[in-house]
Amino acid sequence: MIPANFDYIAAKSLDEAISLLAKHKDDAKILAGGHSLLPAMKLRLMQPKVLIDLGRIRDLSYIKEEGGQIRIGAMTTHFQIEISDVLRRSCPLLPETAGHLGDMQVRNKGTVGGSLAHSDPAADWPAAILALDAEIIAASAKGDRVIKATDFFVEMLTTSLEPGEILREIRIPAAKGKAAQAYVKVRHPASGFAVVGVAVNLSINGGKCQSAAIGITGVSPKAYRASKVESALKGNALDAKTLSAACAHAADGVDVNSDLYASAEYRKQLATVYTRRAIETATARVK
Amino acid sequence: MKIEGTQKIGAPRDRIFAALVDPAILQKCIPGCEQMEKTGDNQYKAKLTAGVGPVKGIFTATISLQEIVAPEHYKLVVEGKGQPGFVKGSGELNLRDDGGATEIQYTGDVNVGGLIASVGQRMIQATANMLTGRFFKVLEAETISNNPASSTGT
Repeated sequence: MIPANFDYIAAKSLDEAISLLAKHKDDAKILAGGHSLLPAMKLRLMQPKVLIDLGRIRDLSYIKEEGGQIRIGAMTTHFQIEISDVLRRSCPLLPETAGHLGDMQVRNKGTVGGSLAHSDPAADWPAAILALDAEIIAASAKGDRVIKATDFFVEMLTTSLEPGEILREIRIPAAKGKAAQAYVKVRHPASGFAVVGVAVNLSINGGKCQSAAIGITGVSPKAYRASKVESALKGNALDAKTLSAACAHAADGVDVNSDLYASAEYRKQLATVYTRRAIETATARVK
Repeated sequence: MKIEGTQKIGAPRDRIFAALVDPAILQKCIPGCEQMEKTGDNQYKAKLTAGVGPVKGIFTATISLQEIVAPEHYKLVVEGKGQPGFVKGSGELNLRDDGGATEIQYTGDVNVGGLIASVGQRMIQATANMLTGRFFKVLEAETISNNPASSTGT
């Protein structure tokens, strides 16, 4: 449980981190909260030669409202998101998701940017980020690049971040009117990861669903938008009949994961049931 | 763990079968295969860097091709060992002519043990599916390519 030898560099600014990454390239890994990277290094499943620590860069940790968006710095911890008044008021899905994540140590130290860049197939954030139509800002020597959440997750542990890019910020568009949001999860009893995690972000007007965005994690090798469920909800009253017809499509079009804890068939069933619960929880909150 | 499925490739069966028993092409198709050395009749020793995203392990593996019935069937037996654990498995491939295209039906049984099995259990099946997908993608590119030399190995 001792990692292979590596050099450690604490970057003082994002620019310094970017130039260090350009210098060390594939030999380097970016250290954010370290709650996925360090265990993998201790197991020697990852053996980077250089760690570039972002932990000393203070201006990567913030939550603010700006330009009709909520902007969250990549080094903001899960706990800071969980307790943020700004987010509880304007985007409660994020604090709710943060509360489901890992344990207290992970939430205190782990960061939203680190989790997204690691892209564990059962992490909680991807579901919420997808349901919120977020944008991911990647910084490099060439400047900022904006990546849509739906383009960000490529496959297990793989994102569309290019070599040399560092995830800098997450931007969430401000909700139009009152949004009905919820995150529900089947928590793996040992790891705390999502066996199935469903984030919903709906707008309801006059008893009818105006827009629906549903992100699902844990079910497939990468988190995805349940677009068939979304289109079955749009324009309809969210009654029992609509919900059961819509939620049956929760795992359509994806490869469903299977492991010792949950077979593919069971996971698919969980996806259906928990998508329905997430929608019901969200709608009950705006009544 | 079971891996099974069918894959359709728009190339003639003879060409696909020739590719599947050609070590030079197999090396390109097997994800992360850096080296493949003949040790006997249809027996090979390979060095693989296998994994997903940044999590990778180096494996040395023996690969043998058995029960070869050209151009329709063979069995691929792989045993790999590395720092993160071991992989042992065999798979049977059946090729069916489908009007100029070929349908490959594959079924395999793979055992994964050691460290990767204990800490990576929840990702093993998805990783196996992903690597299988990559195998057939490269096989498709190699066999559909208009360059006939690609099916004889270079």
